Amino acid sequence: MWQYQKKLQYPIKIKQTNPKLASLIMSQYGGPDGEIGASLRYLSQRYAMPYAELKGLLTDVGTEELAHLEMVGTIVYQLTRNLTEEDIKKAGFDAYFVDHTAGIYPVSAAGVPYNAFSFASKGDAITDMHESMAAEQKARTTYDNILRYCADDPDVRDVIKFLRQREVVHYQRFGEGLRLLTDRLNEKNFYAINPSFD
Amino acid sequence: MRNKLLKEISATQFALTELGLYLDTHPCDQKAIAAAKEVEAKRDELVKQFEEKFGPLTVGIDESGADFSWICDPWPWEKEAN
Repeated sequence: MWQYQKKLQYPIKIKQTNPKLASLIMSQYGGPDGEIGASLRYLSQRYAMPYAELKGLLTDVGTEELAHLEMVGTIVYQLTRNLTEEDIKKAGFDAYFVDHTAGIYPVSAAGVPYNAFSFASKGDAITDMHESMAAEQKARTTYDNILRYCADDPDVRDVIKFLRQREVVHYQRFGEGLRLLTDRLNEKNFYAINPSFD
Repeated sequence: MRNKLLKEISATQFALTELGLYLDTHPCDQKAIAAAKEVEAKRDELVKQFEEKFGPLTVGIDESGADFSWICDPWPWEKEAN
């Protein structure tokens, strides 16, 4: 089960609204490499994990990703306060606005709603650990791309840099998880069996 | 005062998250276990201080008992909470 803590993992206080930037950052809420996909990926993959370290790691990282989902939602929320119809039109936020007003809905920067096809849960520990490591790098690249567009907003930049750093740390931990896994398999042929099934 | 204390809680909680992930893949590292124990005690103390003054961080009845203060603003996504 989960229990909610009435606080963010890292504080967010954005002074300047910016609907254009909000629509880009929304991709980390509901885009192909966003935080909802990240939590669903890890929290789904963990069932097939044969070793305690991997069950723990995927549970804990998947839980942290839920906290990141809340942080990305918070950034978008704070960037879209007190907008006029004119601000919305000028920023190109009108296409999102007609469907969702200033509510939070999981879409990519290009407006594509969240799709579970953006992640895999293959029921094979080796495959899934590789998928998870790649996912952390994809999220890291996305945060790097977002950083290119928030050079002039230190309040947003600071939070995005925190989130980017977490991807790097998760990648490191998943790498250790993969090593722990292969160390316990036939070193001459890791793929002789599916460690989650056979 | 509220947000300063909350920041201190977040800092200790973050240290605990980091140590937890590290321990997932290094479960026998006694030094990390000792560090986690220390930071957990500190976090618990700060949470206790916070909840006495500003209401619950996890759903429940607050000490003063009168109202269900869990629902009181600000919520985490609001600027005032950070």
